Amino acid sequence: MKSISLYVDRQSFLHRIDPISKIYYIVAAILVPILYPSLTVAFAVMVISLILLFLGKVIRQTLSVYGFVFLVLITVLIIQTLFYPGNETPVYRIGQVVLYREGFFYALTISFRVINIVTSFLILVFTTRSADLVESLVRKGLSPRFGYVIASVFQIVPEMMSAMGRITDAQRSRGMETEGKLSVRMKAFLPLIGPVVLSSLLNVKERALALEVRGFNAKGKKTFLNEEKNFLAPTAVQWSLLAVILIAIIWRIIQ
Amino acid sequence: MKKVMVEHLKYRYPGTEKLALDDVSFEVEEGELIGIVGRNLSGKSTLAQAIVGLVPHFYRGAYGGKVIVDGIEVLHSTVSDISRKAGIVFQNPFTQVTGSKLTVYEEVAFGLENLGVPRSEMMERIDEALTLLGIYDFRHANPFDLSGGQMQRMAIASIIAMRPEVIILDEPTSQLDPQGTEEVFLAVQRLSREGMTVLLIEHKLEKVARYADKVLWLDEGKVMAYDSPSKVFSRDDLEEHGLAAPIYTQICKALKLKSPDGETYPVTLEGAYEVLKRWN
Repeated sequence: MKSISLYVDRQSFLHRIDPISKIYYIVAAILVPILYPSLTVAFAVMVISLILLFLGKVIRQTLSVYGFVFLVLITVLIIQTLFYPGNETPVYRIGQVVLYREGFFYALTISFRVINIVTSFLILVFTTRSADLVESLVRKGLSPRFGYVIASVFQIVPEMMSAMGRITDAQRSRGMETEGKLSVRMKAFLPLIGPVVLSSLLNVKERALALEVRGFNAKGKKTFLNEEKNFLAPTAVQWSLLAVILIAIIWRIIQ
Repeated sequence: MKKVMVEHLKYRYPGTEKLALDDVSFEVEEGELIGIVGRNLSGKSTLAQAIVGLVPHFYRGAYGGKVIVDGIEVLHSTVSDISRKAGIVFQNPFTQVTGSKLTVYEEVAFGLENLGVPRSEMMERIDEALTLLGIYDFRHANPFDLSGGQMQRMAIASIIAMRPEVIILDEPTSQLDPQGTEEVFLAVQRLSREGMTVLLIEHKLEKVARYADKVLWLDEGKVMAYDSPSKVFSRDDLEEHGLAAPIYTQICKALKLKSPDGETYPVTLEGAYEVLKRWN
């Protein structure tokens, strides 16, 4: 079974943390560096996020994501170091090109924040089963319909992709060119995407009927097959994260 | 006790002129297995969906007459309410998978969660349904990894676990290979023996003749016959209305060999064997 879920099954304390707490962490990790606009705070929070990711034993799986992020950040670093409007103090000179201190630190702050945001999301995505996340949200009061949409995406999209593969094979076996020059590929696009869309639409109707007869729209309280998982101290974690956010806000106001 | 009562049911899909169901009336007793037969577009699936309330609640359209399932009138109930009384299994096993669950076990639980069945009872029911359909060993598998026959049995288990009074199977084997078909039919037979009221829409008339207590024959939305398989399949006007009698009946008809009752032709392999043995 192909899956588009990025979840990595490991034994770590992060895997035992409530998905909701991880969402709190994302909020905290984004808000705190914004409220304290200093390089040190941004760096500290980033280090905390990275340590957490490391403790979650998933850092190796996330390297490809960082590869892409670094590519973007390096361009930011170069451009800001050279052209940041507040640039005053030259640090280094290579022929005509001058590197400035202000721009460099500004770019560094941006980079820390970006890495921080990316890392806090990676913590959620790589250490949480999508089904657990949806179930926690539904228990917290998210509409079960919306929960269904999120949960089913993880399975139905791979199904659609394999349908796409089948249709491509079928069309190719009838002599359609699907590879080669751009113009050939463009021409192949419609005959491929048409059947995929149509069959998906038909499936949607049938699936709607099947859901309907299984009480999808039943009124009254739903129950859950899985017991509420015994997550690691969800209230304590959530309250302390809330406290951190609050302290940051208060500090910002009196500042 | 009557489990299903259909009285003068008429129905027209929105945007069409023709009646999909035209004055259909019949009754089903508790524990009976009814085979519903008829050529394509004769109204079989529409009738099935009228019993679970998808007609008219899902499709809308013009509706007349009455359908009563285990004492509740379909027109005045919601599909979810009726789902506690009557369950339906569709043709395509793939589109009946919810897609939001990661294991067979959780998939079967979907309906029960929606109906608010308590957790302990839920597990008991799921175990029972999975065992009955012979897929208990696959309970931890991903639903999309099952074969067609297994998937269809999972769809039946998902409905059975909701403990309806009546189960309707709308061509459950049309997309399955012979082995999958056999698996599903054995499961249906087991359900029927457990006392479940079953309505089975099926094109393979040999199967219907073998398993059904009664046959409901529809054509152009009208009831052509509602009787024992041997009486219905012995009729001379089957072909005229696009049905081919079971192969055993055709042979005996050609040989002019009637069953011992002198009125009907044999409809099953065993019946034909008896008659042919005597003829020899």
